[in-house]
Amino acid sequence: MIEEPYRWVEAIATRRDYIEMQLATGSPVVALGYDEGILLLTVGQQKLFEIYDRIALGAIGHPGDIERLRMAAIELASTEGFTRSAADVSLRRLAYYSLSPVMKNAFEQIYGAPFLARLLFVEIGTSPADDLFLEVEYDGAINLRSSDGGNRPFAVLAATKKSAEQMAGLLSKRFQSGKDLPATLDLALDAWTVGQLKTDEAMPGEEELRRQRSERLGSGTVSAAVLERNTNRAVLFRAVEGSKLAPLIPK
Amino acid sequence: MDGKQALDFGASSDFPSLLRRHGLLGPVAQIGPMNTRAEIVPTESTTILAFKFSDGVLVAGDRRATSGNTVVYDRADKVLEIDRRSIMAIAGVPATAWEMARVLEHSFQFFRRTQLQEMSVDGKVRALSKLLRDNFGFALQGVGIVVPIFATYDVKASPSGRLYFYDAMGAQFEATDFAATGSGSPAVRGILYYENTWGKKPLQKISEDEAVVVALRALDTASEADTATGGIDRHAKIFPIMKIVAAEGIRTLPEEKIAELFQNRVA
Repeated sequence: MIEEPYRWVEAIATRRDYIEMQLATGSPVVALGYDEGILLLTVGQQKLFEIYDRIALGAIGHPGDIERLRMAAIELASTEGFTRSAADVSLRRLAYYSLSPVMKNAFEQIYGAPFLARLLFVEIGTSPADDLFLEVEYDGAINLRSSDGGNRPFAVLAATKKSAEQMAGLLSKRFQSGKDLPATLDLALDAWTVGQLKTDEAMPGEEELRRQRSERLGSGTVSAAVLERNTNRAVLFRAVEGSKLAPLIPK
Repeated sequence: MDGKQALDFGASSDFPSLLRRHGLLGPVAQIGPMNTRAEIVPTESTTILAFKFSDGVLVAGDRRATSGNTVVYDRADKVLEIDRRSIMAIAGVPATAWEMARVLEHSFQFFRRTQLQEMSVDGKVRALSKLLRDNFGFALQGVGIVVPIFATYDVKASPSGRLYFYDAMGAQFEATDFAATGSGSPAVRGILYYENTWGKKPLQKISEDEAVVVALRALDTASEADTATGGIDRHAKIFPIMKIVAAEGIRTLPEEKIAELFQNRVA
């Protein structure tokens, strides 16, 4: 019976394997800081979203689960922003206080359905040191990366742990501060391509990477969104439309 | 509110009902039995006007806030930006009006974020109508009447500038050329009608500078007879707030520009 502790642990492990398998085909998401803000990029179906004035979301997983979590995040942020002010809407609080406990709970209630989703939230601050990159796993685990503690301003979501490591490796190696948007798009697309490699594939050379990238981009639509630091609008999120995106992407 | 509860919902795009569910917005006011109805106090003491001109829609409002015979504040802002291309200008009880504007602003954003598209102009106009309707019980009790004007720019329509005025019950009327509300509005409506019909050019053809002059003269005239309208304070140099809704968004006219046109063509 499931009441026995060992069975419960076993069931959780099985559930973990099941979820990882479900997420294994997801298209990676890259969040990358640049001179005027933060870029979010993915290829394929729409999964970059505006949550609040300064908060954006990228996700991998089942569209239905992503949608429920996205709606919850928007409702929480909007009610907070309405009752108090936009400045009081905090990504940390949203993730730690609201989303994580619910996701953990759903994951551990083994007779119920877990969330098949991996989320990456990005919050832009008044200066790059205040930027936050926050990942919430399907089991509620949170991985917080602030640019403050000497971290470079990027984060990734990938289908597997190995892919995420490879993407982060490439970004650490090639990231330079003060780049403009086209250069940042270029690097983000390279990172996305690396995230698509098979698990046993070694990191390709520059030329091979470029070849694979144009091959993969031929069969998918790039979608991108930015959080812009220096604008006089209150809403810092902006989806980069396809027509404006194409000329920015280096061939 | 714990997280679990927040996730427990059917997808909704209506922000006011979300707020009500969390107890963050007052209840819809009930309309009591008619024999207990309080005397309606006409408290929409203000003058707000808006008209279409060659570049878009100009919305102007005086700055005075009154309570009975007392002037409470002489720098009130009654022309409020709701989103990039929408303005709500308010006559009525400030507490209710500003709260309505805040709900409306958040409603449009909430809709865009959840539905992944802008709310249509018709949807926006209707959203304000619904707020007024929900408030009507309070208006009947004499505590919270609001009579707004809503100006927006519909890139899909021609002419693109769209202008609506409402009554306190929430009925919406689209204005072809101009709208005015508040205690000083009868005079303003006369002036705008005259300008539009017998002026040198119809309002829709006049330039921005000409539009500012018309608005200044209209507000000055309104304040001549209506004590609740601030008009132009020549002593303290307080000018009306004027905003323009156009294709590129909303622009607030700088006070220096209004002052200059006032000096040269109105004073």
